[in-house]
Amino acid sequence: MKLIKKNGYNVCFGIIVIILGVMPLLLQADMIKSTTVLYLAKCMCFAMVAIGLDLIWGYTGILSLGHGLYFALGAYGMGMYLKLQATGGKITDFMQVGGLTELPAVWKMFRYLPNTLIFMLLIPGALAGILGYFIFKSRVKGVYFSIISQALTWAAYSLFIALSPYTNGNVGITEIKSLFGSIKGPKNQGNLITLFYVTLVMLILIYALSRFLVTRKFGKLLIAIRDGENRTYFSGYCVSRYKNVVYVLSAVYAALAGALFVNLNGSVTPTQMTISTSVTMVIWVAIGGRGTLIGAVIGAFLVNLCEYNLSSGSLVEIWQYIIGALFVIVILFFKGGIVGIVTDQIPALIRRKRRKSGREEA
Amino acid sequence: MRSKGILKRIMCAALAGVMAFSMTACGGSGSGDSSEPIKVGLLHSLTGSMAISEVSVRDAEVLAINEINEAGGVLGRQIEYVEEDGASDPSTFATKAEKLIVDDEVATVFGCWTSSSRKAVKSVFEDYENLLWYPVQYEGMEDSSNIMYMGAAPNQQIVPAIEYLIDQGYKKFFLLGSDYVFPRTANMIINAQCKAAGVEVVGEEYADMEQTDFSSIISKIEAAKPDVIINTLNGTGNVSFFKQLAEKNYTSDDLMTMSFSIAEEEVATIGADILKGHMVSWNYYMTTDTERNKEFVEAYQKAYGKDRVTSDPAEAAYDAVYMWAAACEKAESTDVEDILEVVDGLSIEAPEGTITVNGENHHISKPVRIGQVSEDGKINEIYATEKPVEPDPYLTTYDWAVEAGVQPLE
Amino acid sequence: MVGTLFNGLSLSSIILLTSLGLAITFGLMRVINMAHGEFLMIGAYVTYVVQQFFISYLPESMFDLYYFAAIIAAFTVTFLFGVLLEKLVISRLYGREIDSLLATWGISLILQQAARTIFGTQGVLVTSPGFLKGGLSIGNTTFSYNRLFILLMVGLCMLIVWFAMYKSGFGAQMRATMQNRPMAQCMGINTRKVDSVTFGIGSGLAGIAGCSVALLGSIDSTVGQSYIVNSFMAVVLGGVGKLLGTVFGSGIIGFVSILFEKFTSASIAKAIVLIIIIIFLQKKPQGLFVVRSRSLDE
Repeated sequence: MKLIKKNGYNVCFGIIVIILGVMPLLLQADMIKSTTVLYLAKCMCFAMVAIGLDLIWGYTGILSLGHGLYFALGAYGMGMYLKLQATGGKITDFMQVGGLTELPAVWKMFRYLPNTLIFMLLIPGALAGILGYFIFKSRVKGVYFSIISQALTWAAYSLFIALSPYTNGNVGITEIKSLFGSIKGPKNQGNLITLFYVTLVMLILIYALSRFLVTRKFGKLLIAIRDGENRTYFSGYCVSRYKNVVYVLSAVYAALAGALFVNLNGSVTPTQMTISTSVTMVIWVAIGGRGTLIGAVIGAFLVNLCEYNLSSGSLVEIWQYIIGALFVIVILFFKGGIVGIVTDQIPALIRRKRRKSGREEA
Repeated sequence: MRSKGILKRIMCAALAGVMAFSMTACGGSGSGDSSEPIKVGLLHSLTGSMAISEVSVRDAEVLAINEINEAGGVLGRQIEYVEEDGASDPSTFATKAEKLIVDDEVATVFGCWTSSSRKAVKSVFEDYENLLWYPVQYEGMEDSSNIMYMGAAPNQQIVPAIEYLIDQGYKKFFLLGSDYVFPRTANMIINAQCKAAGVEVVGEEYADMEQTDFSSIISKIEAAKPDVIINTLNGTGNVSFFKQLAEKNYTSDDLMTMSFSIAEEEVATIGADILKGHMVSWNYYMTTDTERNKEFVEAYQKAYGKDRVTSDPAEAAYDAVYMWAAACEKAESTDVEDILEVVDGLSIEAPEGTITVNGENHHISKPVRIGQVSEDGKINEIYATEKPVEPDPYLTTYDWAVEAGVQPLE
Repeated sequence: MVGTLFNGLSLSSIILLTSLGLAITFGLMRVINMAHGEFLMIGAYVTYVVQQFFISYLPESMFDLYYFAAIIAAFTVTFLFGVLLEKLVISRLYGREIDSLLATWGISLILQQAARTIFGTQGVLVTSPGFLKGGLSIGNTTFSYNRLFILLMVGLCMLIVWFAMYKSGFGAQMRATMQNRPMAQCMGINTRKVDSVTFGIGSGLAGIAGCSVALLGSIDSTVGQSYIVNSFMAVVLGGVGKLLGTVFGSGIIGFVSILFEKFTSASIAKAIVLIIIIIFLQKKPQGLFVVRSRSLDE
């Protein structure tokens, strides 16, 4: 009992994992459609990014509006490997249109799976590391960091479009199958389920690692940096190094999520790098509740599932108003997001009511 | 303090419950009874940057569906459409396509505009063996048995337009396009064609998709001194480009353009006074003189307002619905397999004239028309092919194209 | 050569016009208004509405005057929108910069959808008034009247802003509030009112910018998004809190973009400019012009 009380967030995560875990069984029992399972798997990828963003924003107080870049880099890395699997290592049609006759060196890096697994995480991680090293050393913070990160993802977006012989411009990498083969249609259900569980395991690992980090001294330091950066400095901690570590970590989470996402989605486009995608990722965390990890997961699932079900037909227009208004209201009145409402606002309300009724009785 | 802990737990459980509910809410159910309406999907961007173009296409599809329903439906069944928003994002298109096919169990889908969205959903339609009706002219080099390409292939729009320009004595071409797959592929084809015809291409420029300032590009055009600009800009880029060209005192007399993405809709947003005299190439104009077109334009304006105009993509989308209905009637079934068996040679009387399906590559044979924008914003036909042109997405019947090797590798 | 210089100057002036409002709301008030681009969009749509009004109700001879009416209307409407937004949302978020950024993003989603609902998804047509059509040809170079007019507008806006900020009583109150709020309050300044009006002016300038870009390009629900990134960059590059910095920031971005576009494609030029800015900000995180301060967290 005491254990549950102490670990409310983890219990909640556990419940989510169990619900997710039985989904494929429901699919096999024909109670739900394969698209539901597939979309939930995509949501898990989004949740991974959200956990990373929560580490850096909710815990450390650095708002990155450019995580779409790392997500896309991971996705492109995996996408290039999968595309080469589909073409058998030959050059692709868009390279031919672009005038290339030989497979470019960038693509050769992703010819084999072990290389791919390393590079798809190493490249985004190294980019984040180098960028973070300089940015945090020169003590760029607050909104300046947000704007720089936004500029970076915008620059990358332009580059990916401009270098279309290598990246296929804004069409991106399409017509690829997942690591386990095709996941579409009833006969490939097994592949889908395998992929689903791989994603679930990754989500659990990422959550567990993050939970481990934030409950240790490292996490306390992140919160210290958020709440009083100068004091942390003066206490003798190298703030920029901690910031950099957490920035790289969240970039690698995003890259991993992207790499899994491309398996599920079957294509990757530079749209993933646009500013609005990156801001949307922050929206998940804000609505779910920042600085709790579980809030990020809940937010990512809730916002995306609502969008999936509500952005069709006549609801399209209204959905845009709802998501916009919801976001404003959450930021204005419920800083803690959904988790904040559940753990603080509602108990406070009940307490107030109880006190009131207690007074009336007296 | 104690109560807070317990509450926290209860709330967490409640939350998990809510999530479980929203997850199961994803799964819908549907069944195919013979008396029930036939479900079809519409998949276009209703939000985001592509909504500018795609909404009019959606409107044309809805119009066609309503007309067919009023006339008694298909195979005696009414058509019911399920609409999804692609949000101008190819990944969303892929997700929503799968949702339409699996969750809503639609018989077929009408949708997409950009090449990136089409390529993103292509494998979805192939894997599920469903059918997409794609309404826009595009860059070719593709065929899929699960996509019906209702718009023009390059040899039904670009190639004849370039031939026409060469016939008219234009000698120096400048290729201007947005930075994405259609202009890049189109320009590869045009380059090969010009080289074979001995016509000089004096410059090739790509504008950013979000570009708002074209002064640099206009300077480059001025420096290259072309006779004609081959314009494959898309969307908002066209508006900025032509407005800024007019600023520099250029009219069609000084600098002719041939555009592949400017239809009546775009003329209305750029302004007829600016576009007057410029040339475009399509298969259909609002002014096209057929009985069927008069009905179409009248019905379209009656449904959506007197100030709305019809355009080639909207007309192709309208045809797509009728073509599908005709295929269903012929196959006496709505199954994709049965439809694909009967589509070869299937032809209908469309606003643009008689159009026929080529069963081999799933494109449509259609007439080609070069048009010129007039002062009142209409596009008038100045040249048309006598017969409908057979689709040839890979340009295999053109010697210069084969020689230049524009076809894909595999 | 003259042409290139003029192109650079003209692009710089457009960036400056779109970022002048941001320089005030972001630079002075420290509010990151992500809906700034949507205010620009509102300005463009107001121009359209005013134009339609003139076409429908007034004689054709007066048509050219619509543009002046539109400039005033665009400023007024976006000013009011700005005040409303400040009262309802921004005023609750002072001191929470990052939160104001996110809240205004939500506002921008709503405004974009509102534009689609009201005006439809297709772009609308704004015709240049007669006196701004075409350009003045000298030798090989054509100076478009429209761009010359934008230069004039920028100059005028700068002058008005400078006068309002440094020469008027309100400007003194405004600067006092931004520099030291508690002290300003002690001196009897109604800082709430100052906040509203300042934010309103910043938004109003976006409206004027919208009016100008309406003649240069497409007017649709996404028009704001295409200008917003450059404007933010100009303000950050120039140094937050200094109007002169924004002028230089816009100038650098404008000229460098045009210069690179001369040699390479537009997309690459854009990426290069952004990367240069990012590298520059590593060296001087506060931008070109730094507001000196002894406080630790500036």
